[in-house]
Amino acid sequence: MNGNHRMMASKTPTRSFVINPMRRLVDALSWGLAALSFALLIFALLHILVYVFMKGYPALNLKIFTEDTQGIAGGLRNALIGSIVLSAFALLMAVPIGVSAGVYLSEHGAGWAGKISRFLSDVLVGVPSIVLGYFGYIVMVIGFGWKFSLLAGAITLAILMLPYIARTSEMALRAVPQTLREAAYGLGCPEWRLVLRVLLPAARIPILTGILMALAIALGETAPLLYTAGWSNYLWTGHFTHEGVGYLTYVIWSFIGEPYQSAHQLAYAAAFLITLMVLLINISARVLLLKWRR
Amino acid sequence: MRKVMPPIRVPFSWGLGAVAALLPLSLAVIIIFLLQAAWPAIAFNGWGFLIHNSWNLGNMYADPMTVRGIEVLPRANYGVLFLIVGTVLTSLIALALALPIGIYAAIFLAEGLRGWPRMVGSFLVELLAAVPSVVYGLWGYLVLIPFLGKYLFPWLAHTLGVVLPIFRGPLGSGYGLLTAGIVLALMVVPLITASLRDAIVATPLALREAGMSMGASRMEVMRRIILPGQKPLLVGVAILALGRALGETMAVLMVSGNALNSLPTNIYDSVSTMASFIASQLDSAMQDPTGMAVHALAEVALLLMLISILVNAIARGLLWLSGNRA
Amino acid sequence: MLKMSKTMRGTAVAVLAGVAIMASGAAMAGTVSVLETGSSLLYPLFNLWQPVYTKENPNVQLTTASTGSGTGQAQSMQGLAQIGASDAYLSDAQMKQHPSMLNIPMAISSQMVNYNVPGLNGAHLKLSGPVLAGIYSGKITHWNDAAIAKLNPSVKLPDHAIITAHRTDGSGDTFIFTQYLTASTPSWASDYSYGVTVSWAPVQGNIGAVGNPGMVDAIKNNPYSIAYIGVSFKKQIMDDKLGEARLENKDGKFVLPEIKNVKAAAAAMVPKSPADQRVSLIFAPGAESYPIINYEYALVDAKQPSAEMAATLKKFLTWAISSKGGNAEHFMQEVNFVALPPSVVKQSEAQIAKISG
Repeated sequence: MNGNHRMMASKTPTRSFVINPMRRLVDALSWGLAALSFALLIFALLHILVYVFMKGYPALNLKIFTEDTQGIAGGLRNALIGSIVLSAFALLMAVPIGVSAGVYLSEHGAGWAGKISRFLSDVLVGVPSIVLGYFGYIVMVIGFGWKFSLLAGAITLAILMLPYIARTSEMALRAVPQTLREAAYGLGCPEWRLVLRVLLPAARIPILTGILMALAIALGETAPLLYTAGWSNYLWTGHFTHEGVGYLTYVIWSFIGEPYQSAHQLAYAAAFLITLMVLLINISARVLLLKWRR
Repeated sequence: MRKVMPPIRVPFSWGLGAVAALLPLSLAVIIIFLLQAAWPAIAFNGWGFLIHNSWNLGNMYADPMTVRGIEVLPRANYGVLFLIVGTVLTSLIALALALPIGIYAAIFLAEGLRGWPRMVGSFLVELLAAVPSVVYGLWGYLVLIPFLGKYLFPWLAHTLGVVLPIFRGPLGSGYGLLTAGIVLALMVVPLITASLRDAIVATPLALREAGMSMGASRMEVMRRIILPGQKPLLVGVAILALGRALGETMAVLMVSGNALNSLPTNIYDSVSTMASFIASQLDSAMQDPTGMAVHALAEVALLLMLISILVNAIARGLLWLSGNRA
Repeated sequence: MLKMSKTMRGTAVAVLAGVAIMASGAAMAGTVSVLETGSSLLYPLFNLWQPVYTKENPNVQLTTASTGSGTGQAQSMQGLAQIGASDAYLSDAQMKQHPSMLNIPMAISSQMVNYNVPGLNGAHLKLSGPVLAGIYSGKITHWNDAAIAKLNPSVKLPDHAIITAHRTDGSGDTFIFTQYLTASTPSWASDYSYGVTVSWAPVQGNIGAVGNPGMVDAIKNNPYSIAYIGVSFKKQIMDDKLGEARLENKDGKFVLPEIKNVKAAAAAMVPKSPADQRVSLIFAPGAESYPIINYEYALVDAKQPSAEMAATLKKFLTWAISSKGGNAEHFMQEVNFVALPPSVVKQSEAQIAKISG
């Protein structure tokens, strides 16, 4: 980019040719710092990813997918399925509510009620996930007597995902051209039909991208699940309450501290799987959005 | 199939509004619940909660006694200054690292790259925010801590430590304040880089050309004209990043050293943050037969929640004023 | 959404199908899930038991978790876990709140005091209760302190600050360690006393560790550190060549946590066990007695929600304390525990009989 810079500079007349070594030095230093900062971030990311993949890939084997965790050995089938089931039920709750809230904010959010809800949902994004976990523990696990359970974990995750989905849906819907709305109303179309038949289909890809990002966040969460979903060495049995559920991030957190090789291998494998899932979701969300924009 | 009009008479928008109200409602429910759960602790601890360093459940095997009408264990005493300090310091260190790096990386992305390299570069930086917290913890625990403890910390103590006392030893083992700050910085930096990059790219061409025509180089235009114009955005995004760092749990829990009742004496010392403390102490607190420890932990959660809300509200307000929505 | 691309729908279907296939092996009818959580000291033993027992009893699903005795106590009292593993018995106040809780000893354990002092890790330094209390309250700050030197006259101690490691999670190891300090040192008794969670003095450079694994890690990575660690982690301590201290017992003798010393202490203390078995075995009299030994408890609610659960727990716990089952020598050796003496097994069996659904 240095050549680029010189080329641009040469286009500018007179004063830039008056060589001021100090200015040049500061310029070069700034470019150096910019490149270095960028390189540092890329290096950190690649180091994390490569490290997790290098450690995790050799730890993978068929047993990881076909067996459940036995204490600190065995496989990760229970945790893998548990992670997916928890996130799936959280999505099932968060998507209808989140998208509806997004529709409201985009279509009726101009007034004070809209402004306040928009502001508060932004604030809700900022609530630390461990606080949500604490809330879930005391209210659902203890208060409602659900014990460690799928429902307590999924609801906590759903609260976590809600504001993301609502705000991305709102943004997506706002980007739909106003003319579409005017045309629909001009044809005497009621609002519900406008939303379901016109607006949501038109904004489906950005909304889907928002949902995918929320899913990636939910899959990677640990703190809100420790005290709501608990843990189980066995596959989810179909019970919504009174039975803990395993999930991959628990294995990473809990097993890496154990002084056993078998536990470490499981933690690496779990880190590999969860990182891969989150990565794939992020990439597909990005690709979807790019294709749609074109 | 014949189309049937919905039998509902209520306007569709009311229904939407009711669903949308669930979001602010859940926020209110969480606050009310926390306030209720924390109330006995607030009454028992008073202001001392904020200014003392003492997380003491009391004598667990003695019989509970009654203080000011509240049942507690003998010698129970709660003060979480060390948590407040730990939370604020780790987040500030994270911000101090993330801001310059994030800004320079944004400049590089916006000015140094274009076309698909910019797109891929931006995506990679944003992926830093997608890596799960616990994976950061794992990497921090296995890679960063040994590296920092063996190489960076001794080096810092030999160089910066000569001038600045907070960089002087004892070095500890790699767990602690600076380690947590570095991990947090990586987690929040994409927020800064992405917002600033978008803002720079969106800067009107006329502004650049005006600067260039005065003989300024591209970097000078950036430093003198474009960046100063983005100050409100940067402040807003920085506070937003601060808010995110304040509430981070798992990664901090795995690399901070989990100090109890003590304030850090230098930048290598172990600390605890409010979020990580809630995660690590909830079950211990549950053993207190008087329930006071759980109430006190709810008070920590409430405090963390209020600080997060305050920080986020300020950030959103500033961003709104600057006409940006991050 | 109807126009969602075909590839995407295909992927979604494939993922769901995969999940369904993987899940199809699950959910056998008539299984009972038991959750054991708590003590990181008992965790290795439960992990040895789990595959053996569930193989013999395929209708039982036994989940184990290493979370600390504090968690074991809390979650068993709340009914979240069927078995709370704890190195510490429940307090009077906790029993008053949950009168149907049983404290059933599973085995006898002991605790090491470990250190990492370069050059001296093989020396088995002698330490006493008052010296440890001094170290953990910040009054004794250096390894060459006169009090330590007096106990170890022939050893050249380094002039280096002592780094103390303590548990930050609620821990039965903290409980028995502070019980030893309380029993041996009056000033500790009045200033700190004992408990699963203790408000540690802010000793310079102290490390808060989570679980016994965290303690092993802490002293491994920090030269000149000291920690108290459950004996089931002895193998890790030996693999990492860390030091194991000789502790002063009630008779003023310095002993290591070897099986014969633990048995000697148990022989002196076990006859004092009351029917509810909530008793401290700390600081036993006798020249050979190791001062920090304890019962490893399974905390179980006598009132179970179903007869099925009650029967499952009874059967498992009876197996666990039997010398032909969980208390068999090969299990005990693996974790350096001592099997329950016959008189204690009788008491434990009487308690197990109280479980009903």
